[in-house]
Amino acid sequence: MDIFNITLPVAGIEFNVLLLILIGFCVGVLGGFFGVGGAWIVTPALNIFGFHMSYAIGTDLAHIFGKSIVATRKHSKMGNVDWKLGVISIGASVLGVEAGSQIIMFLEKTGDVGSIVRWSYIILLLGLSIFMMYDYFIVRPQQLELASGSAPKAKKHKPRKQRVRLSTRLHKIKIPPMISFPTSGIESVSLWIVLFIFFITGLLSGFMGVGGGFIRMPALVYLIGCPTAIAVGTDLMSVLFSGAYGCFTYAIKGRVEIIAAVFMLMGAAIGAQLGVTAVKYIRGYGIRLLFAVMIAFAGVSVVIEQIYKMTGIPVYSSIAGILVIGASVLMTSVICSKLFIEARKERQLKSNVSV
Amino acid sequence: MSVKKIIALLLFCIVITCAFNNSYAGDVGGKEVTSLDHKVDTKNLSGVNLWIADLYNNDRLMYSIVVTLVMAILGTTMAFGTDLILKMLGMDVTKISHRE
Repeated sequence: MDIFNITLPVAGIEFNVLLLILIGFCVGVLGGFFGVGGAWIVTPALNIFGFHMSYAIGTDLAHIFGKSIVATRKHSKMGNVDWKLGVISIGASVLGVEAGSQIIMFLEKTGDVGSIVRWSYIILLLGLSIFMMYDYFIVRPQQLELASGSAPKAKKHKPRKQRVRLSTRLHKIKIPPMISFPTSGIESVSLWIVLFIFFITGLLSGFMGVGGGFIRMPALVYLIGCPTAIAVGTDLMSVLFSGAYGCFTYAIKGRVEIIAAVFMLMGAAIGAQLGVTAVKYIRGYGIRLLFAVMIAFAGVSVVIEQIYKMTGIPVYSSIAGILVIGASVLMTSVICSKLFIEARKERQLKSNVSV
Repeated sequence: MSVKKIIALLLFCIVITCAFNNSYAGDVGGKEVTSLDHKVDTKNLSGVNLWIADLYNNDRLMYSIVVTLVMAILGTTMAFGTDLILKMLGMDVTKISHRE
């Protein structure tokens, strides 16, 4: 496969161009579908295949910027971007990221910041995953049962109350000024609540050194009350901003390998188009379930990485990277196959109607 | 997304980037300063690779502007290009109804 090897002048290595396009494609599908940047997939992938870590992060951020333009445009076309909410999220997140980075600076002076960040990462990823799976497998069936009025299982237990969503509770807090988000179907919510939520998500992303897409997307759904598809599109708009900032700041530090970023973007552009289109065919809860599975894999991979840090056995680090790459390839296959099956069904339906 | 929105968003990104990026050499305790001086060996390079390496070695600010612009322009071009291809394949999308 040497004929596909290209020289990457800035990183100073030879790299297989097909591998770059494939990594870009996978993260493009996942990014477009889940509304995340996907740095937690690309960075270990590039690192395992020979990139120095700092070049892996910088190159990843550069391609994320280009990819999120593709995905945001497509989501916008589908009516999935709430611009007003997106702009507010950017403003509050920037302040949160700064606060998060200040906490890191403080912790750096006091002790083992790496370990604290990794444990926070593990708790957040696995906690979010468990919460979303609980919502899918326990809460949703109960709500559907109550909504249909049948409630056969409820006879054995105490009658279930209709649960009030967390977002609905937050909407009831009336601290002026109140603001509405018609695109997301939110009639009235306190601006302070929205700013506070995005400040916290920004703080977490600044603290953990990640783009924050995987934190913002569930926050938009469960705390702000956006429909899942709009949460995905609006989150990508924020990723576009953080990607632009990351691309510039890492390039100025000399840590972006532009040739690799361009090839990854080629794969990611196609992948993002497919990922965004798949949102059309999969229900909101389906997206949430797949997202929960994906972040569970990511959480387990960070646990293994932590074991590597504690034991110093290098094989654990490789296992962690391979797990995250394997999970992303698997998830990409699931999303693409679902997309093609549903698109084929739709085409057949259309042709039957026309006959 | 309209072209106006894209331009406005990019301008917004640039302004914020400049505002928050005023001292890129001053990272944590100055540890990054030496690595910022990294130079690419141009001995065996030619063509585009040589041009990129020269730009990287001689003008880091221009390199970062070129990288950011290339990503923005390529991203926008690919957004329209791949959209066109998918439309030809019958996978065009318009506004969707949001189903939970």
